[in-house]
Amino acid sequence: MADRALEGLSVVECNRTGAAAYAGKLMADLGAEVVKIEASDGDPDRKLGPFPGRTPHPDKSGTFLYLNCNKQSVSLDITNDAGRRVLDRLLQTTDVFIHDFPPAEAESLRLEYSRLRETNAKLVATSISPFGESGPCRDWKAYDLTTLSAGGWTWLNGWPGHPEMPPLRPFGRQGAYQAGVNAALATMGALFARLRSGKGQHVEISAQECITAILEMTFAFWPYMETPTARWGQRPIHPIDFFQCKDGGWLFVLCVEEHQWQRLVELMETPEWTQWEVATNRFVRASNWDALRPFMEEWVSQWNIDDLYRAAQAKRIPFAPASTLSQLLDSEHLKARGFFVEVDYAQAGAITQPGAPYKLSATPWEIRTAAPALGQHNEGVLGQRLGLSASELAELREAGAV
Amino acid sequence: MPGPLDGIRVADFTWVWAGPTCTMQLAHMGAEVIRMESMRRVCTLRMLPPWPGGQPGVNRSGYFNQYNQGKRSITLDISKPEGAEIAKKIVSMSDVAVENFASGVIDRLGLGYEELRRVKAELVMISMSGYGRGGPQSDYVSYGPAQVPLSGMSQLTGYAGWQPMHVGMSYGDPNAGLHAAFAVLSALFYRERTGKGQYIDMSQWESTMGVLGEGFMEYAMNGAQPQRNGNRVAHIAPHGVFRCEGEDRWISIACGTEEEWLGLCEVMGRPELAEDPRFRTLADRKANEDDLETAIEEWSLAQDSFDATRRLQEAGVAAAVPMMNRELAEDPHLNERGFFVEKEHAEVGVRKHAGIPWRMSDTPCEVWRAAPVIGQDNDYVYGELLGMPSEEIADLTGRQVFY
Repeated sequence: MADRALEGLSVVECNRTGAAAYAGKLMADLGAEVVKIEASDGDPDRKLGPFPGRTPHPDKSGTFLYLNCNKQSVSLDITNDAGRRVLDRLLQTTDVFIHDFPPAEAESLRLEYSRLRETNAKLVATSISPFGESGPCRDWKAYDLTTLSAGGWTWLNGWPGHPEMPPLRPFGRQGAYQAGVNAALATMGALFARLRSGKGQHVEISAQECITAILEMTFAFWPYMETPTARWGQRPIHPIDFFQCKDGGWLFVLCVEEHQWQRLVELMETPEWTQWEVATNRFVRASNWDALRPFMEEWVSQWNIDDLYRAAQAKRIPFAPASTLSQLLDSEHLKARGFFVEVDYAQAGAITQPGAPYKLSATPWEIRTAAPALGQHNEGVLGQRLGLSASELAELREAGAV
Repeated sequence: MPGPLDGIRVADFTWVWAGPTCTMQLAHMGAEVIRMESMRRVCTLRMLPPWPGGQPGVNRSGYFNQYNQGKRSITLDISKPEGAEIAKKIVSMSDVAVENFASGVIDRLGLGYEELRRVKAELVMISMSGYGRGGPQSDYVSYGPAQVPLSGMSQLTGYAGWQPMHVGMSYGDPNAGLHAAFAVLSALFYRERTGKGQYIDMSQWESTMGVLGEGFMEYAMNGAQPQRNGNRVAHIAPHGVFRCEGEDRWISIACGTEEEWLGLCEVMGRPELAEDPRFRTLADRKANEDDLETAIEEWSLAQDSFDATRRLQEAGVAAAVPMMNRELAEDPHLNERGFFVEKEHAEVGVRKHAGIPWRMSDTPCEVWRAAPVIGQDNDYVYGELLGMPSEEIADLTGRQVFY
C-alpha cells in the first residue's frame, strides 16, 4: 500500500453549505481521517439530491455521496449539553475542526476558537462563512447564489448584447467549492506551521472573498481603467466564442496568442476577411468582432465538431468542444488516464464519478470507503476512539444526544 | 510575525493564470516565490489589459499584477542551455517547483522532474497542464477559458432553452491553481514528516470536472444530462436574480425556509402571497415558479437594489446585489475587513487589488509587496542567493541569458 499524504491527521467536520464537506473531502481523499458530526436529521446535503429515480432518501443524495466518501459519520446533537461534552472530548484528540456555521450560530453553539483552544492548544479550527467573521455584513444570510452575487460572479456571467437576461449563476454550488478549496489549503498552511510551532490556530474563510479573489481581469478593470464589469467579462482579445458545427456540436473557438491565430488562418486557407485591417491583431479583432463573427460562424458550420477539434489541435490551436457528460464519460483520453472512478454505495449502488483532481506520485489520491450512512460510525468513533462504555452510549441515546 | 510557509522557497516556472494562481497562494503564506520570466516570451498576462490609461506595458497589466502579488521576478531565458542550468541551481535551493506549460514542454527544456530531482532529491514538483501528462490527448494545448466548455460546465450553465454558455471567466485556471496549491501543501506536509518529495501530475480539465460532481451524479443516477435552467435549482424557490429599478440593476434572492419566505412577503408588502395556494409550501412555490418569479419582479422593478437587499437581510432573507467591480471596490463590508491590498508599484503606483480570502490568527498571511516588475529581483537572486560575481551577471545579461 502506498503512503498517504495526510495519514494520521484527524479531522472533525460539521457541514451546512457544502463548503466544509468539500474541504473535508479534499483532505479525506489524501488520507486524513475525517469524522462528520451530523445532527439527527443529518447533513443538509442528504436532502439535496439528485436521487436515483428522483425519490428522496438520506443515503442516496448524489451531492452528499460525492462529497463524503472516505469519511465516518457520527450522529450527535451538539445543541444538547451531553452531546456537546462528547464533541469537546472528541476535539481534544483532533488535529483539525472544520465547520461552516454562520458566525452568530457558531457563537451560540459555543464554537468560537477562544473556547476551543482551551482544551486543545494544537487544534487548527477552520471556520467558513459567507461574509467572514467581521464587518457590517457578517450576519447576513446567504445561499450559494447570493454569495456568488456578493462576490461579483453573477453579474459577470451572462450573454453580451442581452441586457434583458439576468446575471446568471454557473452550474453547481461554486461558492461552496471555492470556499472549500480555500479552507482546505489554508488549513494545510496552518498544519504546516504547527509542525514547527506545535501550536494550532484559527483559520477564517470568507466565501464572498474567495469569489472576489478569482474574477480574472474583471476586478482590476475598475482600479486600473475605471471600466465597469461587462457580461462574459471584458474579453479584450478574440476569437473567444462559441460556434455551432455541422453536426450540432458547440465548439469553443479560442486563440490567445497571435501565432495561434496565424495557424488558424492557415487552417481556414487564408480567406480574404482574415487579411482585413480589422482582423490584423487580437485586440482589433475584439473591437470588430461583431463584423468578423459571421465569417467565422460560416466556416465553423462546415465542419463536424470532432474533425475541427482534431484539426485545430494538430496545429496547436487551443479549441475545445462544449462536452456533454456522456461524452466525457466516453472520452478515450480520460479513460486512459483512469480519471473516473466507480464507487459502490450501500444504498445507491455503483456510481461512476469524477476521480483524482491531481495525481501525487508517492501518495496517491484514492477512494477507500463509500459515503457513510447517518450515524454509521457512532460505535467506532464514540466507543472505540473515545472509549465511551456501552452504558455511557446508552445514556447519550437516552438523553437524545446520539 | 512570519506566515506559515516562512522559509519555503518556490521555483516558479508558471505563466498565464492557472500556475500563477497556485504560486500566489504560496506567496500569500509567506513562501519566497521566484518567478522565472523572459523577455523572449513574455508572460501572456503581462500583455493583456487593463493598463492604466489604456497604455500597454509589460509591467502595467492589472491582470498580471492581481495574480502575482508578493512574488519575486527574475529574467532568465530557460530555452538557452545556460539559462536552464541556472534554473536548476535555483531549484536546488528551493522546496517546490511549479510549471503549467503544455504537457511535455518542461521535459524538452531539460527541466522535467527526473532532471530536477537530481539537483534536489526531496523536491515537490507539480505540473499543471491542460490535459495532464499521459493519455492520447496529453499534448493538446489548452487555456483556462477552454476548460469551461471542455469540462462540461458550459453544457450545464445557461438560460433555459438557450445554447451552452461560458461562465464569464476562465474558471479552469483559478480552480486548478487553488487545487494545485492544496496538493503542494499536502505534499510538503508529507515531506516534512518523511523527508520524501514527489511529483504531482495535475490536469486542469480533470480538476474542473471535480467541481461538477452534482452533474455527474445526476447523470449516473438518472441517465440524463441536467438541463440548463437559468438561476433555478431543484430544491429551493424562489431562487433567482430579479430586475430592479435603474439600468441593468438586479437583486438575487433565495428562500429555502418558511421563515425566509414569510420575510420576503413581508418586505414586499404582500403578506397575502403567503396564503396564496400557489405558494403555500416550498413544493407549491417550486411548482408555480413562473408565477412566483413574476410576483417578485413586479415588486423588485420599483426597488433600489441595495436598499431592497438591506431590508430583506433585516428580515432574515438571503439577498445580495450582483456586484459589479466598482461596487466591490467601494463595498463598505470588504473595505472594513481589510480585504483589498494597495501596495506601491514602480510603474502603476498604488492600485486596489483583491487580497487574501482567509485569515490566520497565529501566523498572519499578508501581501508583503506588489507584483514584481519583470526582472526586479535579478540582483537579489543572482547576486545574493546564487552568489554570482557582478562581472558574471553582467556577462550573462549581455548575452541575453538573463533576458
